[in-house]
Amino acid sequence: MPDGPVLLVEDDPADVRLIQRAFGKLPDVVKVIRLTNGDEAVSYLAGDEPYDNRGTHPMPCVVLLDIKLPRRSGFEVLEWLRRQSTALKRLPVIMLTSSRHSVDINRAYDLGANSYLTKPDTAGQLEELASRFQEYWLSWNELPDLHIGPTAKAPR
Amino acid sequence: MTQENYRPILLVEDDPADANLLCRAFEKAKVLNRVIHLSSGDEALAYMAGVKEYADRSVYPLPALILLDLKLPGLTGMQLLQWKRAHENVRRIPLVVLTGDSDPQTVAAAYDLGANSYLVKRAKSSEILTLVKAIDQYWVRLNEAPLLVTGADAGT
Repeated sequence: MPDGPVLLVEDDPADVRLIQRAFGKLPDVVKVIRLTNGDEAVSYLAGDEPYDNRGTHPMPCVVLLDIKLPRRSGFEVLEWLRRQSTALKRLPVIMLTSSRHSVDINRAYDLGANSYLTKPDTAGQLEELASRFQEYWLSWNELPDLHIGPTAKAPR
Repeated sequence: MTQENYRPILLVEDDPADANLLCRAFEKAKVLNRVIHLSSGDEALAYMAGVKEYADRSVYPLPALILLDLKLPGLTGMQLLQWKRAHENVRRIPLVVLTGDSDPQTVAAAYDLGANSYLVKRAKSSEILTLVKAIDQYWVRLNEAPLLVTGADAGT
């Protein structure tokens, strides 16, 4: 299991409760940090105040990002992240949204989302999603090291 | 989830033994997608571009998922990632690196060049089967694939 927590950016309190409950039922403990709007997400990832202490506000290993958010939207957060000149730009982002519109799905991929998940209708399905998410991203998948400088060109 | 998830899976792998084990695992796991195996970076580029023997999209449709080895003869996996990212109609297709190398520098470089995820090859056939099941569970059954029906993909 990776060191960093999962960063959940979600404004709807009911959805947050359901998602956190689903993660809480997993056999492995997954630490989830929750933020409620796009501006907070950018401040947290940039390490700006009040998130400037990485001891108390650790860098996440992946981000679960909603699209419809107050202040800055999920798309704007993703665009900001991928524009960074530091290793931060490679942080995996998985969209978790209620939108099933292909225009949103395509836009997310075009902006550099790693994956796109839709919020299921029932609590049971959400538990299933949390379990699949954890198994894939936190176990099978190799997460990138954010301490290695960015790569500009393809190595031979 | 839509029909887009059931487009073929493109497996780019030059090692015949690895390719064979993976293809057998896909069959055994009863993955519904057709698996198209290509054994070089040049072939993968021709397929994605829809040129040469791959010009007919009704026979060789754009894939739902690309599984890419990095060490390939001719064009390398990293160069293919770079090419893919620069080409409009294929850039949004999810691409998962599947390779033997788990060096953090290589992992970081692959994400920097736009890989959606990074998996390390397994040696035992039982582990390969579990890995293929995890790929199917996550990328085919859970993730929302982008919508690729475009003029360039209609086979016209």
